[in-house]
Amino acid sequence: MPFWAGGLISLSAVLLGLIISAAILALAGVAPSSLLTEFVSAVADPQSLRAVLNQSAPLILVGIAASIAFRARFWNLGLEGQMIMGGIAATAISLGKVGSDDARIGLMALAALVAGMAWVAIPLVLKVLLRINEIITTLLLNYVAQYALYDLLFGAWKDPADSFPHAAPFSAAERLPVIAGWLQYGMVVALVIVLLAFWLLQVSRAGFYLRFIHANAVMADHMGVQTVRIVGTVVLASGAVAGLAGFVIPSGMEGRLTQGFFEGYGFSGVLIAFLAQSNPLAAGIVAVLVATLFVVGQSLQIFYQIPFAMVQLIQAIIVMCVAGADFFVRHRLILQR
Amino acid sequence: MTGVRKSFGAFRALDDASLDVRWGEVHAILGENGAGKSTLMNVAAGLYSADAGTLLIDGVACVFSDPRDAIAHGVGMIHQHFKLVNRFNAVENVMLASPRGSYRRGLAEVGRDIKRHADALGFSINLDQPVGLLSIAEQQRIEIVKALVAGARILILDEPTAVLADDEAAKLLQTVNNLARSGIAAVLVTHKLRDVQAFSDRVTVMRAGHTIATLDPRAISSDELTTLAVGSKIVPPSRRGHTSGTDRLIVRGLSYGPQRRPRLHDVSFSVRSGEIYGIAGVGGNGQTELTDILGGVRKPVAGTIELMQPSGACVDLTSSGPRGRIDSGFATVPADRHGQAIASSVSVAENYAIAHVHKGRFGPWWFVNRASIRDVASSAVREADVQGVRSVFQRIGLLSGGNTQKLVTAREFSRMPSTIIVHSPSRGLDVRACAAIHHRLLAARDNGVAVVLISEDLDEVLSLSDRIGVMTAGKIVAEFDAPADRQAIGRAMVGHA
Repeated sequence: MPFWAGGLISLSAVLLGLIISAAILALAGVAPSSLLTEFVSAVADPQSLRAVLNQSAPLILVGIAASIAFRARFWNLGLEGQMIMGGIAATAISLGKVGSDDARIGLMALAALVAGMAWVAIPLVLKVLLRINEIITTLLLNYVAQYALYDLLFGAWKDPADSFPHAAPFSAAERLPVIAGWLQYGMVVALVIVLLAFWLLQVSRAGFYLRFIHANAVMADHMGVQTVRIVGTVVLASGAVAGLAGFVIPSGMEGRLTQGFFEGYGFSGVLIAFLAQSNPLAAGIVAVLVATLFVVGQSLQIFYQIPFAMVQLIQAIIVMCVAGADFFVRHRLILQR
Repeated sequence: MTGVRKSFGAFRALDDASLDVRWGEVHAILGENGAGKSTLMNVAAGLYSADAGTLLIDGVACVFSDPRDAIAHGVGMIHQHFKLVNRFNAVENVMLASPRGSYRRGLAEVGRDIKRHADALGFSINLDQPVGLLSIAEQQRIEIVKALVAGARILILDEPTAVLADDEAAKLLQTVNNLARSGIAAVLVTHKLRDVQAFSDRVTVMRAGHTIATLDPRAISSDELTTLAVGSKIVPPSRRGHTSGTDRLIVRGLSYGPQRRPRLHDVSFSVRSGEIYGIAGVGGNGQTELTDILGGVRKPVAGTIELMQPSGACVDLTSSGPRGRIDSGFATVPADRHGQAIASSVSVAENYAIAHVHKGRFGPWWFVNRASIRDVASSAVREADVQGVRSVFQRIGLLSGGNTQKLVTAREFSRMPSTIIVHSPSRGLDVRACAAIHHRLLAARDNGVAVVLISEDLDEVLSLSDRIGVMTAGKIVAEFDAPADRQAIGRAMVGHA
């Protein structure tokens, strides 16, 4: 099979997924024609293109976080937990007024990185020392993080101004700046992370070894590759990037720590890594497409009362189509009577 | 069976093999590893289809499309690795092989059938527990009953005693004998002379894919039988006048595995520089474990591995791990190429380069130079005569076994090692590839490298080694200086030393 056939099959799978999704949305009362209009205007209209780019930053970050973990065969399903911890740590710096105003935002980002790393370190250590399945531990730690967040937002950090369960708003110095009136600084952060991930996976020596660990860990071990050290480093990096996503959303988009800022990102990160086959550059592109879907979903929510769950449903349908198409990429069909 | 031929790629596993088995006899098939015993039996049981040859049962020609077809003709095989579903109990497993119309009624019927056969054989079988929880011997009994319930009248047992303790093995072979008395034809694939002589009525000896002779095991001495099985070909020693140096690698009292049934037991030997130390033995007697321990991948339960350096200093490597071994000048070629020596989905070039990346040959830690990897790998591919490489960035999994092995040996030798451990380096290779690898080993020895050659191919060990240890049941049972007596080694291998 020529190399392009695989790509063609995957692309048709995405199209099929979109068609099925359009059919479901039509049943929910969104005419296919207006759906198309929504998609076109999402990228054509400068206002909403800005929203798409804005939305892309955290999605790129979670997509990269998932990609680098998957390259090490560590199934990090705890992206949301790591985001939450990143968000909490950044907010703690803001509420505690740590450091000067100039240094604050940098400290917040750093705290988010460290917190995400710490949150993924727990399942990492459990896996390395006790061989406990990281799929379970990362997933369950999401709930722990979630309730820790609720505890703070409904308790100590409740905004004294309105008593709603969200933290007090960040000061102007604590928000990610906007460049030239339209480009969110979070996008710049995300692009830097994409390049760093590309360097780590494709250029560095660790990335070279990682290809062997991914393909045949036993062989890597025989060749004297320090598997635990490399996998550990990469997984910590994954948690750090997810933590950074948990800083970009409150600081760059919502302006404060809210109780639902992380929702849907864990699943989307896994989806992006899966569709991009853990390639960081591809993950960047796929993340922008998913961001478009998010933005369209938001306007569907407003204009057609379509719940946000529908966006997740569409993502799931696309994943299933691509996963199903994978069968045709790997196998040749021979019809037999 | 007459004139059976079967090739795997370029490797001819069976060449004009013939076998006749009579009703009511225990027919042993004796031969070394890779002689073609299991292949021939897999053809008989419908698992492989032969390239040529015929199979007659009671004078009727049969062609089996699959094992189910074979069992319908009465041929049942008990494999060395049992084909049982561990989570099912005995009744369910048997029913899986001989399905009945209704599940509920089937269970009762199959249960009755099992009891009938088990009682006739004097077996006790636990019907209710998942078979994964039962002992190996018990699982084997279930396999036998499974074949019988499915209607087998010709029963093939592939190395049935390999997994059993001595008393269990004797009991099993007695049962097989009883089955034969009741009219069933039993075929016993084995490499144990003792089993052949005590329990079989006739024996067919196989060597290198040929059936050599069929005879009465009681009418021939065990020496003659050994000669037939291992061949009497004199292998010219390929050494030229050279002297080996002082002890380089010293292994003392290595043990591995559970205390009750250790995989390795008190293995001691030493290898000098400029010497090939061969370890002969039938596969599965601890060779893989020994290779892994020498290469640092597994840690022994007891014992030490020491390396004498040219300066006279002695380094204890026992707990140093693969990287430590490599840093001390080790190179290892494991037997399981695809599992341990290469990553199939990674490129040829990278699979070659991985031996040198850690030393910074392809750039510092933050940059791996692909162009330089390509150049180095390309010239290695040319030098080692690796065929079938269109681009060095193609997946290595696309190469044939022989070419993969050429590349792996080229990689390991490119480390400029002072100690080399190779396990079955020529398994599955054609004559030319085999000779190339042997040449490399001899050249390394002449350059003063200490070589450990672990192989199940006796010819290989005899033709290359300066000294030979024989490994049986995880122990080095005998040691010989070259030129070694083939018969003596053969006897030690099959436990007659």
